[in-house]
Amino acid sequence: MTYKANATYTNFLKRWEEVTNLPPQTLGPFTGMYKLLTGRFKVMPWPWFLVVSAVFVVVLYVILGSAIAFLVTTLQKGF
Amino acid sequence: MTKLVAGGIVWSKTVAGLFIAPYETSRRIACKGKAFELLFIGLMLVGYFGLASLVKIAAFRPFLLSQQFFILFSGALCNIFVSVATLWIAGRLIGVQARILPICVSWAYTLVPTTAWFLMTSVLYVLFPPPRTTSVAGLAFSAVFIIVSATLLWWKIMLSHLAIRFVFRIPLATILVVYALFVPVLAFESIVMYRLGVFKVPFL
Repeated sequence: MTYKANATYTNFLKRWEEVTNLPPQTLGPFTGMYKLLTGRFKVMPWPWFLVVSAVFVVVLYVILGSAIAFLVTTLQKGF
Repeated sequence: MTKLVAGGIVWSKTVAGLFIAPYETSRRIACKGKAFELLFIGLMLVGYFGLASLVKIAAFRPFLLSQQFFILFSGALCNIFVSVATLWIAGRLIGVQARILPICVSWAYTLVPTTAWFLMTSVLYVLFPPPRTTSVAGLAFSAVFIIVSATLLWWKIMLSHLAIRFVFRIPLATILVVYALFVPVLAFESIVMYRLGVFKVPFL
């Protein structure tokens, strides 16, 4: 029991040192907003990536119109 | 052989981690990344460039295939070398002395989204060869292609950002200074690669 408790404590200590090794990011009055935004990207960011990409495509279509087909043709030949 | 398989499993778990929990995994790579992981990233690149050579040459001609493979692989190695060296120098300039191995391993993992995009583009080149048309189907394909490409680009940008953050242990303002030093060098290098006909889209 003591061994288990010691192992848990050692693991906790290791983790604590790892986390506190890097000072948290602060942005003055924008810290809260920054934390809110970045917090969504720390675990499973894909839904947010997809939403941002979909908005990006709509904006691109508004700006370029059907020329996005040309853009994709260029990208497809770009590998 | 057992070590190789075990290494492969560790590498696969790390790649899955970058997909599911990029923040936590990038932090772990910067702290505990091992040199053997570079081997698997190298194998991933060899696999991709082998396929890309086949798609580009579109014929089973060993000399041309080897030549194409050599050009692409050398170009990618050159990109990695320039990126790592620039990051290391940028680190020195801002007064951070990071070890070269964590920079190499962390940056090498950012090549996963890059390779994913190039692989997707190569496969689509065979399945749906360009040019794209302005028909409804063509525009729908274009929209989906850009959505997937942009999604992979955000992933790449995030992994690059986290690599710099965790390797150098610096705040956002200093990360922006690193970008200011790093991006022009990569832009210049990409132009050189384009002029040499190695990569039309930079393999960064």
